[in-house]
This record gives sequence, C-alpha cells and structure tokens, in this order.
Amino acid sequence: MQANTSKTISLKTGRRKPRKSFYEHIEPWLFMLPALLVFAVFLFYPLFKTIYLSLFLTNNVGQAKVYYGFKNYLDILAGRYAASFWNSMWVTLRFVAIVAFGSLLLGLTTSLLTTKKFPGRAFASAIYAMPIAIASAAAAMSFKMIFHPSIGLVNRVLGTTVNWLNDPNWAFPIICLISIWLASGINFIFISAGLRNIPDELYESAAIDGAGYWKQQRHITLPSLSPTLFFQIIINVIGAFQSFTQVRLLTMGGPNETTNVIVYSIYLDAFRNFRFGSAAARSIVLFVIIMVITLIQFRAERKVHYQ
Amino acid sequence: MSGITLTRKHKNALSSLLRMGLNLPLVILIILPLIYTFIMSVIPADELYTRLLPTRWDFVSYLNVFEKTGIPRQILNSFVVAGSVTLLQMITCSMAAFAFSFLQFKGRNLVFMIILATMMVPWEATIISNYLTVSGWGWLDSYKAMILPYACSAMGIFLMRQNYLTFARELHEAAKLDGCNNWRFLLSIVIPLARPALGALGAYVFLLQWNQYLWPLLVTNSDKVRTAQIGISQLYDIDSEQIGLMMAGVVVVLVPSLSIFVFMQKQLINGLMAGAVKG
Repeated sequence: MQANTSKTISLKTGRRKPRKSFYEHIEPWLFMLPALLVFAVFLFYPLFKTIYLSLFLTNNVGQAKVYYGFKNYLDILAGRYAASFWNSMWVTLRFVAIVAFGSLLLGLTTSLLTTKKFPGRAFASAIYAMPIAIASAAAAMSFKMIFHPSIGLVNRVLGTTVNWLNDPNWAFPIICLISIWLASGINFIFISAGLRNIPDELYESAAIDGAGYWKQQRHITLPSLSPTLFFQIIINVIGAFQSFTQVRLLTMGGPNETTNVIVYSIYLDAFRNFRFGSAAARSIVLFVIIMVITLIQFRAERKVHYQ
Repeated sequence: MSGITLTRKHKNALSSLLRMGLNLPLVILIILPLIYTFIMSVIPADELYTRLLPTRWDFVSYLNVFEKTGIPRQILNSFVVAGSVTLLQMITCSMAAFAFSFLQFKGRNLVFMIILATMMVPWEATIISNYLTVSGWGWLDSYKAMILPYACSAMGIFLMRQNYLTFARELHEAAKLDGCNNWRFLLSIVIPLARPALGALGAYVFLLQWNQYLWPLLVTNSDKVRTAQIGISQLYDIDSEQIGLMMAGVVVVLVPSLSIFVFMQKQLINGLMAGAVKG
C-alpha cells in the first residue's frame, strides 16, 4: 500500500507536462528585479543621458537647453578648450602608464619576496596587502603631512624647505607615488595568487638542471605569470584612469595644470563651471578611450594565453 | 652525512635571514605613511615644529576630534551608508545570482553578459547624469542619495554566482521534489551554504563604501548626512594649523576599515580572487 502510493506520486511528477506556468516564466525576472532596477536607473539610463547631454548646452542645473550637435566635442578636441583638454590627456596618459606599471612592479617585487617561508612572512604579507583597505582621502591627508613644507617628513629628513605639492616638477611624481602605493595592495594579492599556482616541480627540475634564481624567474615565473600580469595591468589601467581623490585633495589639478588628470577636469567642468554638456562630452571621450584600451588588452591577453 | 645536513640547515637559515633583510625595508616603506600619521597625531603641540619623534605621547587631539569636530556624527553616517549598501548588495546580488545559476530562462546568458559588461563602464560616464537625477528628485543631502545608486553591483552578482555554481544541482532537484519553492530554497538552503561568499562580498562592499569620496562629496552639503572621508578632508580647510587634530581624525577614520582588513583578510582576499577568475 505504502509503496503503491509513493509510486503513483512519482509517476505523476514524471508525467507532468514540461510546459511552464505563467508564474514560472516570470519567476527568474522577479529574482533579478531589484538588481535590474538599480542598473536601469543608475547605470543604463545615466549612460545614455550622458551621451544625450554631450550634444547640448545646458543651464546651471544641468537641463539641456540648446542643441549643440558635436560642437561640444569640437570645442574640447580642437576648439576653445582644446589646449587644456590635450594637456589633461597627456597628463592622464603619463599618469596611467606610470601608475599601472609602477604598482605592478611593486606588487611583483613584494609577492616574489614572500613566496618562500621566513620568520615574519605572514606579517609582511599583511602589510603588503594593507593598502586595499586604505581610503584615498585618508591617504591623501597623510601624504599632505609627509610632504608638508614646514613639518613634513621629507623636508625634515632631507633638510630642505621645498613646497613639494606646489612645485610643478614635484607635484606630478608625488601624485603618482601615492597612487602606486594605494594600488600596490591589490597587485600584491593577485600576483601572489598567480605565483602560488605555478607548480613547484617546474622550479625543482630547473634547479636540478642548474638554473640559478634569475634564470628560473625569467624562464619559469615570467611565462607562467604572464596571464596574471596582463589581467592585473588591465585592472591597474582602469583604476588609474579613475583616480580623483588624491588630485583634488593634494594639488587641485595644479600647479600649472601639471596634475590636471582628465577626471579632475570633468569634475571642474561640471561641478565648478556648471558646463554639464562639455563635461559629458569629456566623459564620453574618456569612456571610449577606456573601452578601446580594455579591448586591445583583452586581445593581447588572449594571444599571450594561447601561445 | 651530518656535515651535509648541517650545511643545508645553515643555507636555509641564511636564505631566511636574507629574505627578512630584503623584506624589512619594503615593509617599513609601505607602512611609513601610517606610522608618520600616527606620530603626528600624538606629538605634543610644543614639539610639533622641533622634533621628528615625540618625547611623550599626547592624546589630546583624539579628545578634540570627538568633542570639537563633526567626525563622530560623520562616522555614524558612514556606518549607516556603508552598512545599508552592504546589506542591500547582499540581498540584490544573491537574488540575481540565484536566477543566473539555478533557473533556466530565455535570454539568461545575454542578460548576464550585459551585466558583466557594465563592469567596464567607468563612473565618469554616469556620475554627471546620476547627480542630475538625484538632485532632480530632491534627494540631495540624504542617505538614500548615497545608498541607492550602489544597491547592486555586477561584481557582487558575479561573485555570488561563481559560488552558487559550486553547489550540487541535485540539491535543487531534491528541494523541488520536497515541494520547496525557489524562494524558500534560496533562503533556507542556498544562503546558509553561501555564507562564506556572502561574508567576502560584505567585507569587500563595506570597505569600498567606507572609502568612497567623490559621490558623497557631490550629493551632500551638510554635516547631518556627510560621511567621514569628507569630514577628514575638510578638517584641513577649517584650520590648517591644527595638524594633530587632522591626523587624529585620519587615524580614527582608518580604524574601522583597517579592522575589517585585519579580521576579514582571508575572506576579503578569497572574495577578490573569486571575482577575478575571469573579469
């Protein structure tokens, strides 16, 4: 009896038609609804609105007033704002290149130094990863003190009285330095993980063959690690393009626009000069540049990967 | 025989020593900004201009941070904002990820790809319009303006989905046979199993939010809702002479994020790794 009923039940479920009810059709969308709502309102809509705004002149509260076509783009690329825009582009490109490679190099060094056991390794690793937890605002305030003209650490140690952050020769390297420091933690974490994935046997057999430390690094570590390094460079480039806080708090884009990265120029344009249309055009240009660079890097990565 | 083991032992000790020697300067260099910040926060006022290292520690600046500045209130605001965003992302991301890993429906891969692609959109491309939207709704100077735009993230969905995919499919089948609907299945079986991943997501999101600067700067203009990162950066504008106060403020605001890092280091790093498998 018992067995019989359970059999009929399982038969029933087995015979159930595969057709889904209306509810079953919409159920997945119900699960996604909150997420899609947030993306729609705060990501897709503003993305298209930024493109729309970039074709207009706006009033002080950002309402599109006069259709301006592509003239916003012309203004920044070849017109009245061109000098400042191309300066920003040049500053940004140098900044991104220096920070992306600098933090990669620092992360690579710190992770290579902690691959093997030694007393204090856990502590050193924690310190190397720590910058991921540090806010750029807090870091900026701290560096403001380190490079302070009268009580800064650097001037005290060197016995100088340089106003570092107001010096056109020094402001840019210092902004790079703080950005490298902030990004080094994430580089350390990812590169360390990449190193852990390289099988020990490779090094052991190389050592038996008589390969020294540097030879092992060149012929085993570097090739095995290259996908990780490529991925990390993409992350670094995207991150560096978006650095804003340290510029605003330390140099305000100066002196003489030597640290006026494009993100800061967008901020000035929109929220200081209230030229939302022109700022939107800058944003779109930057967006396209980041897209293109990312795509090129993914292409390049695929090549490295499948070689 | 014993001679060989001895040399190997010596060699190991030597290379350990070498590693310590190489790591020490780098460790010091990387932690130096924090140490200097701390020193500047406890150096007595009369030694500020004359000494690099204080002869005694003076914690009066910390007292001042709590009694004379808006920092305590701003820290509370930061907790409200970062905490709410964390909670919301845990909910929205675990729900959406459930659809992408346990449910079959048309367009699943397409929608998932679109969501992943949004990770490439830099905030510059949306921030101007988002500011205009939020101010158009009269939301300036409110918690919701800081919270809702970050109530979900592609990274979070991806992270949770990666985790769900490691669960056995049979779990879902068995639950369905037992008459357990998808909502209950998510709540009473999937979520408890995914607790480590949720913890990682939570720690990661909280840190990001705690450290936010530009968005809160744009959408707030009163101390009532303003967050701590804005607060410490404004201590300088108020009185650039009060170095000790400023540095004490920085230390106080660093404590929560550094604590999360210290106590949740493992989850945090695992979470980041899971999210980076293929970004």
